[in-house]
Amino acid sequence: MCDITKEQVYDAIRNVIDPEVGFNLVEMGLIYDAIIDEDCNVKVVMTLSTRGCPLHQMLTQWVKDAVEMRVPGVKNVDVEVVWEPEWNISMADDNVKKALGAL
Amino acid sequence: MFSVSRDYAPPFGMIAPFFIIGSIFFFVGTVLLLFLDPLHGHFDPMIAGWAHWFLLGFVMMIIFGAMAQLIPVVVEVGHYSVDLYYMIWPLLLIGTLTMVTGFWIAPAVLPYGGLLVLTAMLIYLYDTLMTLKKAENVTLTVKTAVAANLFLTTGIVVGFLLTLAIGAGVKVDVAWWLGTHAVLVLGGYVVLTVMGLSLILLPMFGLAHGFDETPIHRAFNLMVGGVLLHLFSTLIGFSAGRFVAMLVMLAAIAFYMRQVWLIYKVRARKENDIWARSMFFGYGSLLVAALLALVSLFADWENVVLASAWFLIMGFVTFLITGHLYKIIPFLVWFERYSPLVGKQKVPMLHEMYPKKMADWEFALSAAGVVVAGVGILLKWNDLYYGGVALLIVGAGFMLASVKWMLSFGKAESGE
Repeated sequence: MCDITKEQVYDAIRNVIDPEVGFNLVEMGLIYDAIIDEDCNVKVVMTLSTRGCPLHQMLTQWVKDAVEMRVPGVKNVDVEVVWEPEWNISMADDNVKKALGAL
Repeated sequence: MFSVSRDYAPPFGMIAPFFIIGSIFFFVGTVLLLFLDPLHGHFDPMIAGWAHWFLLGFVMMIIFGAMAQLIPVVVEVGHYSVDLYYMIWPLLLIGTLTMVTGFWIAPAVLPYGGLLVLTAMLIYLYDTLMTLKKAENVTLTVKTAVAANLFLTTGIVVGFLLTLAIGAGVKVDVAWWLGTHAVLVLGGYVVLTVMGLSLILLPMFGLAHGFDETPIHRAFNLMVGGVLLHLFSTLIGFSAGRFVAMLVMLAAIAFYMRQVWLIYKVRARKENDIWARSMFFGYGSLLVAALLALVSLFADWENVVLASAWFLIMGFVTFLITGHLYKIIPFLVWFERYSPLVGKQKVPMLHEMYPKKMADWEFALSAAGVVVAGVGILLKWNDLYYGGVALLIVGAGFMLASVKWMLSFGKAESGE
């Protein structure tokens, strides 16, 4: 039985900042899910704000590193980038929308 | 299992010369405008020399540097052979200087400069096409890159023949082929490349989603058709075909402007930073250039042709390039100096890595310079033209200083 919670995983990913916009990936709404199995393996399902993002590989690596370093007891971390549903600004937190002028 | 791959990102030291040389050519190019007389018309060797200084030394140099980073990002595969870029900028640099010498001082060296430029372009083309060949997802951007590069090669071959005509007396109708050379390089390469990349870059920086892409597909098809029609009409000596080709290319630009508007309307990022303002001015200039080009098709006014070319090159192409330099250079510097430090220490955000005040001055002075000088060309009022050029020179000085500032960001801390 694993006692890692989704909230712990999301909190860890809050430390990953997109250097272009200056917000963390969770408040950007880029993290779709965190699946934790009984052996404490974590699979993060995420998207990116655009296809062809030059930071694609780095962002996924940072997410993996953040979860591995900041969540005690985690075993393997896998990060899957999906394009459905396509990200849009409505998925971001209000503070992000406000800062970008979308509110 | 993921690994941080730097395969897609060419070494910083490899790309930096493209931006440094390009910025110097940009600044000196604006100074050289003082020595031109727009009343002389576009067949003046002084104007032809300046055009090659600016388009090869600044526009092509920066585009090639940017492509070294952007092509792998767009097609999601690494370069076929990124080391080839070490050969491209020296060949392009020496070739450009030799060509300009040929136009201004010694026509006999023109073919040698042309050959060096052609070699640089062929190397670039080889790496680009071999890289694109690896693409699994053939998007419109990939198609535009292929078409644009084939047009570039054809345009440079035509240009090389023109250098042989001017410098070595080979029998080619220079006046007849000059237009096609310009159409192939400016319409076939520069505009098509901008179209393809903007489909990636405008939504990326504006955070725009869910827009209709029909106009850009039409723009691509029309631009390719227009350039081909112009080329074949030139080959068979068919003037009416060239006229229709120009109309088709203007229609392509209209559809492209429609696409830009659709992206603009749905952008989530509303802040008008230096990038956004540069895009506004650039696209406004494209609109003015297109309208002037339309007028020049029906009235043979040399000043309107020159004013159209001015707004296209100095307004549209230049502002799209300078605007993106404030995004691309900070990213390259950040990637080189700060990405290894992520998670270990606080790293700067990209918007903190360009000099905002200098950029504001660069934008204001350059934009004013383009408008004032453009109106001067249109009204055949040389004093106004030189006044605008003076503003442009100061603006370009701020750009050069900004590029130095951005490239030096964090250099001392990293111990380079």
